[in-house]
Amino acid sequence: MRKMKKIIGLVLTSVFVLSNGFTQEKESETFNAFKIVNAHSTKTLKKREFRYIIEHRFGDIAGEQGGVQTGFGFDNAADIRFGFDFGLSDKWMVGIARSKGANQPYRSLIDAGTKYLLLEQTKDLSTPVSMAITGTMYYTYQQATTNLTQVNSFPTQVDRFSYASQLVITHKLNERLSFAVLPTYVYRNYVLAKDNNALFSVGGAANLKLTKGLGLIAEYFYGIGNTMERNASNTNSLGFALEWKTNGHCFHFNFTNAKGMGELQYIANTESQWREGEFRFGFGISRTFKY
Amino acid sequence: MWKKIVGGTVLLLITGLLAFVKKHDTSKISALSLAEVEHQLDGSVRNPIREVDTVLAKIGYTIITEGKAEYKGYKGKLVSSYFVCTDCHNLEQEYSSLTEHSPEDKLVYTTEHNLPFLPASSFYGIYNRKQFYTKDYVKKYGELVNDARDTLENAVQLCAKYCSSGRYLEDWELDAIMHYFKSTELKLKDLKLSHQELSALENLERLSSDQKEAILKKVRSKFTQSYIATFLPAMDVNKRGYGENGNAENGKLIYEKSCLHCHDNARVTYLDLDHDKLDAQMFWRNINNYTDKSLYQIIRYGTYPIAGRKQYMPLYPEEKMSNQQLEDLVAYIKELAAV
Repeated sequence: MRKMKKIIGLVLTSVFVLSNGFTQEKESETFNAFKIVNAHSTKTLKKREFRYIIEHRFGDIAGEQGGVQTGFGFDNAADIRFGFDFGLSDKWMVGIARSKGANQPYRSLIDAGTKYLLLEQTKDLSTPVSMAITGTMYYTYQQATTNLTQVNSFPTQVDRFSYASQLVITHKLNERLSFAVLPTYVYRNYVLAKDNNALFSVGGAANLKLTKGLGLIAEYFYGIGNTMERNASNTNSLGFALEWKTNGHCFHFNFTNAKGMGELQYIANTESQWREGEFRFGFGISRTFKY
Repeated sequence: MWKKIVGGTVLLLITGLLAFVKKHDTSKISALSLAEVEHQLDGSVRNPIREVDTVLAKIGYTIITEGKAEYKGYKGKLVSSYFVCTDCHNLEQEYSSLTEHSPEDKLVYTTEHNLPFLPASSFYGIYNRKQFYTKDYVKKYGELVNDARDTLENAVQLCAKYCSSGRYLEDWELDAIMHYFKSTELKLKDLKLSHQELSALENLERLSSDQKEAILKKVRSKFTQSYIATFLPAMDVNKRGYGENGNAENGKLIYEKSCLHCHDNARVTYLDLDHDKLDAQMFWRNINNYTDKSLYQIIRYGTYPIAGRKQYMPLYPEEKMSNQQLEDLVAYIKELAAV
């Protein structure tokens, strides 16, 4: 245990030294947006910047709930999220947002999160990757159901809280191609007996830049150590996105089977399947200001 | 024979004596403040700071380089959320001489001295300049330049409020900046005046008004009184060289010392630029139009601050980047884009 602490201490010290001690030229625009598809990217706001975010997920494009009758999902809103992020330093940002919630099982979610940029990839590859860590706390204020067999019966206030942390590791291979590895941990205070409180999953993503402002992105998360019951009912999230960066705006158009936004929803509560046509169009717009 | 010997000896003695005569020492006058001397020669020349307060000058330097400073009971507050002075102004000499003002000379000099190549004039010697916001700046700032043209303090306030999309400076901040400017003002020695000219300046009170006028003219011919700004329109698409006559090596210097000064890692702006093929291709795709992404347009017009986005790109007057240098820049972009 003591040895483990020493190793962790050494790693953290190395990360701190690497992130602060050198001034080599940094790689930038690995992923242009603050989100890859669902996951966080290594991009952070700078000091004295803030941005507002509007994100939207429509209903299923195909399958039982989609098709022509629902305008290929445009009639429905699976999730809507809006919020604000603030840059406390060039490497550290915090944010707060409100989501409608995908009703699977959560609604009316507030999330407060932070992201810290631990490492920045350098052009000479003396630091070969960029690395950021995020921490998010979720709270749902939806009305509790009286059905005690449901996870949203929330016997106590504490049961309404969930937490997530994501380590974002990105590497820009060349001016067109970038990759990300995304180990993620989600902890829900209150789950059903057949489910896990703690969920661990690893995501992978790639970004192919078509032009300076346009990039094609794919992202997949794989759940590790889930219960059999969980694996039977839940699916891994798979998403594709087109990001379009203009001066000041970043538009994000995506297709994903995840209905909700935030790790609590897209990792812990994705049940839709691509092959059943249960994927949806979504978009995100953010605008950054200085203050 | 004897005549020659005596004559030669006398000549040698005279030469020897002359060699021992101590040369008139002008080091004291050389160190004199140029503004002070100019003021003595012409009472209308302003010299608002008679003696530098080194503490205030240091505060002024901090405001200029970091955008804010704390002083006594005053709390530091950013002048602008978007820019600091050094985003557009160098603090050092940026031409090979005090009378030079060609952009070609500036590029060579700033390259040699590892300085950025910027759209605004250096603060070096600004205390001794007579005019600001010259010529075409009225097209950009309208009547605001009227008060700012002849007075350095007003020029600084215009820059703080409008050029940097910030606020007017408080009195102590302006005072601190003026003390910094005073601390970096030109001295007589910087003008490289002859020994005779310096000696004449030692006895100013004895000079007649004509003599004063003549020497003032001489002094003023040794440094630039004001940098002229000529705004050019975006070059006609049919007249653009598209890099054909440009020197890509020079263009690379301009890209690095000018464009990347603000755009590297999106330091000042949202547009992130690098020595990147995709960046160059973005510029090249727009090279033959009149949009912000066309170098021929953006260099000459810049952009303007708008509600919600106060950052903007300042334009380059002809005197700060020539059309040939613009072609050089385009030649480099073409090379980088590999088209």
